[in-house]
Amino acid sequence: MKNNKPVFTAVGIVFFIAPLLLLLLQSLSAPWRFQSGYGVDWKLESFRQLIRDPYLWEATWWSILIGFLVLVLNAVVGILTGKALSSYSFKGKPWVEALLLSPILIPVLAIAMGLHLFMIRLGLADTMMGVVIIHLVPTIPYSIKIFHNSYQQMGKALMEQPHILGAGFFTQLFTVELPLLRPALRSVTFLTIVISLSQYAITAIIGGGQVLTLPMVFFPFLENANASLMSAFSLWFAFVPVVMYILVEVILLLLPYSRVPWRNHR
Amino acid sequence: MKLSRNSSLLLFIPALLFMSIPLYGLVTAVSQSLSDSGTWTFDYYRQLFQSERFMASLWFSLRTSLAATLLSIILGMAFTRFFHTLLEKMAPRLTVWIPMLFPHFVWGYMVILLLSETGVLSQLALLTGGIADTDEFPILTRDPYGIGIILTYVWKEVPLVILMLLPVYTSIRPEYYALVDTLGGTAWNRFFTVEVPHLLPVLIETILIVFSFTLSAYEVPAMLGTTFPEMISVLSYDWFYGSSWEDRPLAFASMVCVSFLLLVVSLLMYLYLNKARWRAMRGSRS
Repeated sequence: MKNNKPVFTAVGIVFFIAPLLLLLLQSLSAPWRFQSGYGVDWKLESFRQLIRDPYLWEATWWSILIGFLVLVLNAVVGILTGKALSSYSFKGKPWVEALLLSPILIPVLAIAMGLHLFMIRLGLADTMMGVVIIHLVPTIPYSIKIFHNSYQQMGKALMEQPHILGAGFFTQLFTVELPLLRPALRSVTFLTIVISLSQYAITAIIGGGQVLTLPMVFFPFLENANASLMSAFSLWFAFVPVVMYILVEVILLLLPYSRVPWRNHR
Repeated sequence: MKLSRNSSLLLFIPALLFMSIPLYGLVTAVSQSLSDSGTWTFDYYRQLFQSERFMASLWFSLRTSLAATLLSIILGMAFTRFFHTLLEKMAPRLTVWIPMLFPHFVWGYMVILLLSETGVLSQLALLTGGIADTDEFPILTRDPYGIGIILTYVWKEVPLVILMLLPVYTSIRPEYYALVDTLGGTAWNRFFTVEVPHLLPVLIETILIVFSFTLSAYEVPAMLGTTFPEMISVLSYDWFYGSSWEDRPLAFASMVCVSFLLLVVSLLMYLYLNKARWRAMRGSRS
């Protein structure tokens, strides 16, 4: 228990940092052929080739836009449901919570296949909105959980006080709840965008190949791109959550009680 | 008070709207798997269970995802147990989250890069003289035993397990351990009388999440699996998008089978959890 820091460092480097380093090194050099006797051939070619690909940029913008819409809907549903779950106690609540978690326990592939005909009928198949809707299924249960936990940590008293002082629903939401939900909003941002970026099969089914997100470009690349280009593309996937994170951080600055650079504070 | 109670109920409306999406999808999948141009039939299920390809795939999927789940849970739990005090600091925690920054298939590609027959490890082994030829390197990706799939999943899910268990471990009050120690308990007692009861609800939820994901996700097995035996998700996707429309009901039927299985497993585990909770409330240990 006491002296496990060296072990942690070793495990951390081998299993968590090394894979990232591997992708980074491979993306910055030609595919490795150690046995041929040549050393590592450093070049930026793979990144140059990657950003010259017109599909990449198109897919990146689509992924960011879809991810952002998924995030907004997640925040709305997650915050309202989380608040309801923590402020209202009733018999059988554990079962309601389990039910709200069930969409991530049922195969999302089954749901997407089932919804496909419905989406065609509504004209949502092959459209961005259809893809946004199907991406809600594997993300919202997590958001509800995260916001529910945050509301529970805040406690009921903090919810009653603004109510007693006469704050309306939206005043309370923007001045009391949202500023305190900031850590939860960050976790939800991160989780939803990564999950949304991970969906190949359901995006292909509902988007019908018309909605070009990053996974739709990545999978065909596997067949014919070299290791350097694939590694560069792999790292690109971490770039999108970072952009989304910055975007959300800027939006969060608009909330009251934020330490904004343009406002004086002691 | 009556008014605020009702407005709390209004807050559930978005969740109800959302829940109708997966519900509708599942119900449609079930009805598609049971109907043959308008008439009810169990024929597709009969075909399914007589198909050797499906049975092999179902068995392979269960084996693979069960192995991935158990390994992720055991490793994640051991990691959290030994390092939770260190993980309270920001930098170690961020290190552990690195695999979560990438989609599953990107991590799958990393595993291919590292462990394929011409991968980095194989080349390093060749260089250091561990093997004489790349042919001698064991086949770890696109292998018939699902090793590559299991490895990718475990590597990706261990951080999730840590994420779920960490708050529980940090919230266990040290007095509980002190109590076990004063009563002369062993490390084993500490684990089973203090940690397991605290962890149980989160642990069961995590097991369910990891198991259902690894059983039914498409991306990783599509990249790291072979054509026979194949994971059930890959088989269903092939049937759904295959050359003939006649296979579509089979895709629905096989996905419904998996959904049904997962629902039953979830229900059993929640029932068990409820019973455990009830027992804990009454304070009896039998």
